Amino acid sequence: MTEALPEFTLDRPETIDQAVTAMAKRPSSRFLAGGTDLIVNMRRGLVDTDCLIDLTGISELQQLSDGKSGLTIGAGVTLREICEHRDIRRSYGAIGEACDAIAGPGHRSVATVGGNLCLDTRCMYYNQSHWWRKANDFCLKYKGDTCHVAPTGKRCRAAFSGDLAPALMVHGAEVEIAGPDGRRRMPLADLYHEDGANHLGLKSGEFIVAVHVPPGDTQRMVRSAYAKVRIRGAIDFPLAGVAVACTRLASGEVRITSALTGTNSRPFLIEGFDPIGLDQDPDAAFTNLAKLVQKQVSPQRTSTIGSHYRRLAVSALTQRLAKRLTLELE
Amino acid sequence: MTAPLKSRAAGHPAPLIDGIEKVTGKALYTADLETSDALAGRILRSPVSHGEIVSLDVSKALALDGVRAIVTADDCPHTYGVIPVAMNEYPLARGKVRYRGEPVAAIAAIDAHTAEQALELIELDIRELPAYYTANDARAKDAVLLHDDKPGNLDREVHHEFGDIADGFAAADLVSTEQFECAEVNHAQMEPHATLADFDAERKQLTMHTVSQVPYYVHLMLARCLEMDTCDIRVIKPFVGGGFGARTETLNFELITGLLARAANGKVMMRLTREETLITHRGRPDTQVELKIGMSQEGRITAVDCRVTQRGGAYAGYGLVTILYAGALLHGLYDIPAVKYDGYRVYANLPPCGAMRGHGTVDVRHAFECMLDRMARQLELDPFAVRSANLLEAPTRTPNDLMVNSYGLPECLSTVEMASGWHERKSGLPPGRGLGMACSHYVSGAAKPVHWTGEPHAVVSMKLDFDGSITAFTGASDIGQGSTTMVALAAAEILGVDLARIRVITNDSAITPKDNGSYSSRVTFMVGNAAIEAATRLREILIAAAAKKLEADPQDITCTMETFSVHGSEQSMMSFADVAAAALAEDGTISVKGTFTCPPQAQGGKHRGGAVGSTMGFSYAVQVVEVAVDVETGLISVEKVWAALDCGFAINPLAVQGQIEGSVWMGMGQALCEETRYMDGLPVHASLLEYRVPTIVESPDIEVYIVESNDPLGPFGAKEAGEGALSGFPPALVNAVADAIGLDLNTLPVTPDRLMDALVAQRRKQRRAASLKEAS
Amino acid sequence: MKQIIALRINGAVCEDAVSDSLLLIDYLREVRHLTGAKMGCDGGECGACTVLVDGHPRPACITLAASCNGREIETIEGQVSNGRLSALQRAFHENLGTQCGYCTPGMIMAAEGLLRRSPTPSDREIRTALGGNLCRCTGYVKIIKSIRAAAGAQL
Repeated sequence: MTEALPEFTLDRPETIDQAVTAMAKRPSSRFLAGGTDLIVNMRRGLVDTDCLIDLTGISELQQLSDGKSGLTIGAGVTLREICEHRDIRRSYGAIGEACDAIAGPGHRSVATVGGNLCLDTRCMYYNQSHWWRKANDFCLKYKGDTCHVAPTGKRCRAAFSGDLAPALMVHGAEVEIAGPDGRRRMPLADLYHEDGANHLGLKSGEFIVAVHVPPGDTQRMVRSAYAKVRIRGAIDFPLAGVAVACTRLASGEVRITSALTGTNSRPFLIEGFDPIGLDQDPDAAFTNLAKLVQKQVSPQRTSTIGSHYRRLAVSALTQRLAKRLTLELE
Repeated sequence: MTAPLKSRAAGHPAPLIDGIEKVTGKALYTADLETSDALAGRILRSPVSHGEIVSLDVSKALALDGVRAIVTADDCPHTYGVIPVAMNEYPLARGKVRYRGEPVAAIAAIDAHTAEQALELIELDIRELPAYYTANDARAKDAVLLHDDKPGNLDREVHHEFGDIADGFAAADLVSTEQFECAEVNHAQMEPHATLADFDAERKQLTMHTVSQVPYYVHLMLARCLEMDTCDIRVIKPFVGGGFGARTETLNFELITGLLARAANGKVMMRLTREETLITHRGRPDTQVELKIGMSQEGRITAVDCRVTQRGGAYAGYGLVTILYAGALLHGLYDIPAVKYDGYRVYANLPPCGAMRGHGTVDVRHAFECMLDRMARQLELDPFAVRSANLLEAPTRTPNDLMVNSYGLPECLSTVEMASGWHERKSGLPPGRGLGMACSHYVSGAAKPVHWTGEPHAVVSMKLDFDGSITAFTGASDIGQGSTTMVALAAAEILGVDLARIRVITNDSAITPKDNGSYSSRVTFMVGNAAIEAATRLREILIAAAAKKLEADPQDITCTMETFSVHGSEQSMMSFADVAAAALAEDGTISVKGTFTCPPQAQGGKHRGGAVGSTMGFSYAVQVVEVAVDVETGLISVEKVWAALDCGFAINPLAVQGQIEGSVWMGMGQALCEETRYMDGLPVHASLLEYRVPTIVESPDIEVYIVESNDPLGPFGAKEAGEGALSGFPPALVNAVADAIGLDLNTLPVTPDRLMDALVAQRRKQRRAASLKEAS
Repeated sequence: MKQIIALRINGAVCEDAVSDSLLLIDYLREVRHLTGAKMGCDGGECGACTVLVDGHPRPACITLAASCNGREIETIEGQVSNGRLSALQRAFHENLGTQCGYCTPGMIMAAEGLLRRSPTPSDREIRTALGGNLCRCTGYVKIIKSIRAAAGAQL
């Protein structure tokens, strides 16, 4: 017997309310969805809990609807379902491409949208065995008091490594959250903090119920895509990832929204890029966008692949996607 | 009636005879064995890189309910190792620890949770010493020694010179010198390490099932470390999930599990995690190569001067062989009149390195083939032309006295040149695309075994009994390469019987003849020849019986398609079953044996270290690699590979193809993405997320061509096929990148960050050159 | 805590009391003695443990046994029918899609999942579907060939 996991009890609520109550009863619990992140981390001894609340039996979390009012994806929808959803792929290119790029097909058939949005941050000092971390005096994120990435800093630098969040963010997604105080909604971008040890703005007992995306445009007025820098063609987390959405505004200008992942402790939108005017040289604008990306990302020494490289590569990818998508606009 | 032949033998593609077990999940690997009555083993590993063990207190752990045994260095005062003169490692650290992850103590408990709990209760106090993670730091003047008897932290230095170097360089029209850095890599075989040890307390006997490529060496080391008679030990190798050299020496966990089983008077299953498997290591060392080559205007190599430094890790292991191979295999591929070699194997506070596919040659071959291309460019010669200008002529002996009896390199060159459309395509590729090529070779077994006993180098026995089945017994370890099938094919071919009539029993020291193991690509050549000899003896017995029955001269009897006949005549025929019955009636169960011994002339020169590199024959390989380089992200995609390999004769062409594809691809991993990385001695790569074995997504099509040069001494003319092509990939890739974007890279692996750094440096250099030009 | 789970494994109904923290891989290997699915990594990195859960490939090493209650599990052992190899098993055997064999059960199950959804997959689809399954012996060349052969045989 491997006995790879510590002992815990598994709770399987059937409704959102039951899940909220279960967590209130036992606040040391953790919510479990597909398990492709949490169970792996538990096997590494990175999670202290004696109870898992399995959300996959809650039917409300499985909803998936694409209509005039936009797209609603239940938190329990699997990445595979998104990959195979033709309408999503057509209207929200980045979302489908981001799901394609996550881990391997076995993971995607069980990993959920909510789970990927709540992915734990990653760092080469953190995603190690108990023996390894103990030999290194642990770290600020878990059981230790120093961030080995930036020892003089006060916060954890672990990198958010979910592929899906930036893709949803460039489409202006909101998350719907359930918890002891009921439901609330907020822009997905606001869910995250720049702190690797506490990157999720979920209050105690809260979990994501659904993601709401404003209507995608089928008139080829909005095009989006996702690309990631990784060494291998599958399995790897993003060393850096970028989602870009280009929108042809009524004025004829092109608005470019981009969001990054893998570089910081949170996924975030690039700020300060003005729509490209009809009389503007687009190439100069794209160069400017690349510069903005370089300025706003702050990859850290969380991986063996250098931070300088990750900055350069993701800025090049942003520029490339923006160029391509702009050309694709009607 | 003879059944129609279901399969043909040597020379025809044959699925593995143990393949059905593999595709049905029935194949039992060590971790699959029955463990309901076994204790769980766990190992306490050093948290520091270098230090003296001040105290080790296991009393609290031992007192924990469910703990059955704990072993420490006190339980084993003996060193172990693969080279008899260089055994300096203890199964459990004794007095000192020398790398993070080195085993210090081990626990057997009723279950894994208990064992893990007990690990936390062991009190270990270590006084830390300065630690060294690079060869240069370890060799610094004031560096603390890892081993008191190894001044300068040098495991071994080698200085060889063959031919007149000074003359050679003087005769050259172009002399180039470059430095290359190749990162350490690991085998990353898919099966994590595991051992099941069962100690019979009544009989004081130990039975071990383990993941080894060398069960015989494990047997010897168990006897040494446990102070047991070899006759009280039985070692069995179940199915093994790959090796690539990771398991070509006895490994610490095997000895530790033996010690635990004895201490617990019972059965212990030790399953290492992937992290522990990677820490056990024995991979290819981080290597610095400084290479100087002299070349004439026509592309003839006039002299070579090579200096190699390997960071070998904390213990000797195979180190002296690796550093000798690196020099010896400068020879044997091309005709080079003068070669000087200086090799340094250095200790460092990291997991010990060892043998890995292409043992010793890969990093040096990489440097060599990259430089040949760059010098060809300077001399405005085609890369193929430069190789063709330096061919050997077999049979010959190299300046360092290696025997070359067959040489298919010229045919490999022309085959790949043609298949890849080299000349037509090279000039027509779009920007960012490039073609590169390289040659390589490897030994077909070390002609002088590391453990010298004077015995034959291989023994195969065979039995024919009342049921008409033929059973071959071999100690050759099939680790997926197909050696079991090769033995069956050899026997079927010689005996003229259906392959299905042959069973092969392998790797149980109580049943099968001793075999040195699966390493240095020795098995096909040596065990293949032994199998042929055994089958030939059996055939002689059968033919004698048939001759008697048919009242003919044995010389006139032929046996094909399970039928014995006089000159193939239908009038005088006997079925295999009838002949077998006749032969058995004479003397009962028939047992025969075949052996193979490498002749003295194959065993290398008389110089110190001359045995390493010596072989019965070299395989030769040529490959062309096509790449597409993305200069904005630094990512290289391998579009296609064309590879030809001279394996002498393909006993099983299907397996030969598989070996070539696998080795080319493993070379791709080392070239593009694989490397071990340590942070103050802690392995950052110790998972299959961070140790990036290529996935199917980015793995290219590999077009394989088998070239057959018919080695005069090989079994049916065969030589090795599983290693020779590996070392050609990295240089072919780097040469292709140079072709694609005009950038010469001197560091492996070519990860995108390294490529981008090199591009930035190149642009800076070009700008500086331009501004200098402007200024002048 | 333990709970009783009832599920179908390779068509047969199984009921077992399992600990909540038991992984599916351990349940299959140690409780059901189905050792075909392998452990190759420390969790979700290699695909050697791939089995089908309700027809979709999943790494059994990061799946809880208890969460498979009521589900249909298929492993390599269930691919043989009436003693004969499945088309994929035969193709892997005959085309040397297996060398050491350790990744093979996971590979075949991932491929099985693919062929059910897409009986004649393109090379690209094959590569995508097997992206999470590492092999160290074959360079994947003959794995792709085997799947192509099996797809052809099923036509």
